[in-house]
Amino acid sequence: MSQTKSLNVDYNYTVVRLFAVTTVMWGIVGMGLGVLLAAQLYWPALNFDTAWFTYSRLRPLHTNAVIFAFGTSALFATSYYVVQRTCQVRLFAEKLAMFTFIGWQAVIIAAIITLPQGIGNSSKEYAELEWPIDILIAVVWISYAVVFFGTLVKRNTSHIYVANWFYGGFIITVAALHIVNSMAVPVSFTKSYSVYAGAVDAMVQWWYGHNAVGFLLTAGFLGMMYYFVPKQAGRPVYSYRLSVVHFWALIALYIWAGSHHLHYTALPDWTQSVGMVMSVILFVPSWGGMINGIMTLSGAWHKLKTDPILRFLIVSLSFYGMSTFEGPMMAIKSVNALSHYTDWTVGHVHSGALGWVAMVSIGAIYHLIPNIYNQGRMYSIKLINTHFWLHTIGVVLYIVAMWISGIMQGMMWRAVNTDGTLTYSFVQSLEASYPFYLMRFIGGCFVVTGMLVMAYNVVKTIRAKDGALEPVAEAA
Amino acid sequence: MMDIATLHSIFTVLVFVGFIGLVVWLFVLKRKPDFEEQANLPFADDQKPKQQQKQESDHE
Repeated sequence: MSQTKSLNVDYNYTVVRLFAVTTVMWGIVGMGLGVLLAAQLYWPALNFDTAWFTYSRLRPLHTNAVIFAFGTSALFATSYYVVQRTCQVRLFAEKLAMFTFIGWQAVIIAAIITLPQGIGNSSKEYAELEWPIDILIAVVWISYAVVFFGTLVKRNTSHIYVANWFYGGFIITVAALHIVNSMAVPVSFTKSYSVYAGAVDAMVQWWYGHNAVGFLLTAGFLGMMYYFVPKQAGRPVYSYRLSVVHFWALIALYIWAGSHHLHYTALPDWTQSVGMVMSVILFVPSWGGMINGIMTLSGAWHKLKTDPILRFLIVSLSFYGMSTFEGPMMAIKSVNALSHYTDWTVGHVHSGALGWVAMVSIGAIYHLIPNIYNQGRMYSIKLINTHFWLHTIGVVLYIVAMWISGIMQGMMWRAVNTDGTLTYSFVQSLEASYPFYLMRFIGGCFVVTGMLVMAYNVVKTIRAKDGALEPVAEAA
Repeated sequence: MMDIATLHSIFTVLVFVGFIGLVVWLFVLKRKPDFEEQANLPFADDQKPKQQQKQESDHE
């Protein structure tokens, strides 16, 4: 077959480089904002009574910055890199690819300008941006699809590697989710109302919201996992068959789970139950994928001792497994009765976002940077190791704090006296949570410090003379 | 005319049958060496061929 030829394809790394560097930059901004918010929750005076600096205005900016600026830039960078290298062909429509970079950065800048002013639709979580920005997002996203699928069409390999299936699924689904959920009637340039009303609006929002988790934060990053884990481990994925089943099962099931965000609301009871059942079944493909990733290392576990990049990737899969066990459990109605509206949800999101999404992205970027800047390795392997430990300690502190605080809140809110009155007032539960908010703030500081270490390492690698950094000798 | 619930039911059955078909195709009909070749795609464009293993089925 045609795959034996030794290749020297002239890949387009310009767009990949731009997105890779902005990933690190937006990572620091987005996570830094998170730490600021954590500090405001512990020291409320930190909003300085300034409207645009309050928690309510900055919180959507934090979520948009980490999901759409940090996470999605990482997806752009890695998907453009992976699709070229596994199809052995240069990017299709390179000017359009450059437009996706400029357009996407414009979206992020627009978010930074509008959200602190209170411009946006706050009932649409993770889709707060106003309609002119929504249109720009749709245009950029469709261009992204054209570049990605155009590259697949002109590929030089007979088969489309599984990572590209995940990236492709993520691109198509996010386009559909964004366009359907953002349907709105504009009343002015900065104000619009959703075309949906009442319980339907809520259902559409969480169909969008949960599938943003399922397709952007899961399928997209699984695409990353299926290329970078085998590549960094130096061995093919554990089971290619399992990866195909994993893809179709995940795609078919995720789309149904969104209603678990609306347990015990005005949504019809049967819709809630369907969401619960589908969420529980979703555990199976999630763990199938996680096992496939981790088992890729079977027979080469010793590499974890010496390679901190591989450690980032494998630990990210452990967090993925943990949060895809936790998620189905929290989607069960009786568990949700305890966990909903508490800090447990916040902890769950961050074990997914900081544990899975951020760690797999960081590992992939550490693999990517030397490859696209003609270096054999990152400037300092020791600093990658430092980053690994800072990040891991930070995430564990964060999650543990939110678990304790969340379960405690749930127990206190539902406690009743024998005469039926509530045992605790809301402010009593807030006081009980207070120390854990400090613990979360400290955890966040660890994570951001790690990102700063990464930025230093990345800058040093980029500025090193071409080919000056020799690859590490493979341990036997 | 068919109502929406019937259409949904038919769609659900089709998706289920499709999924079972996929599993049968993967594990019964398709040969293992094909997958080994595909699983090695991330390494296929390395300038220095340094795959440590599963090389035998790549050269046909």
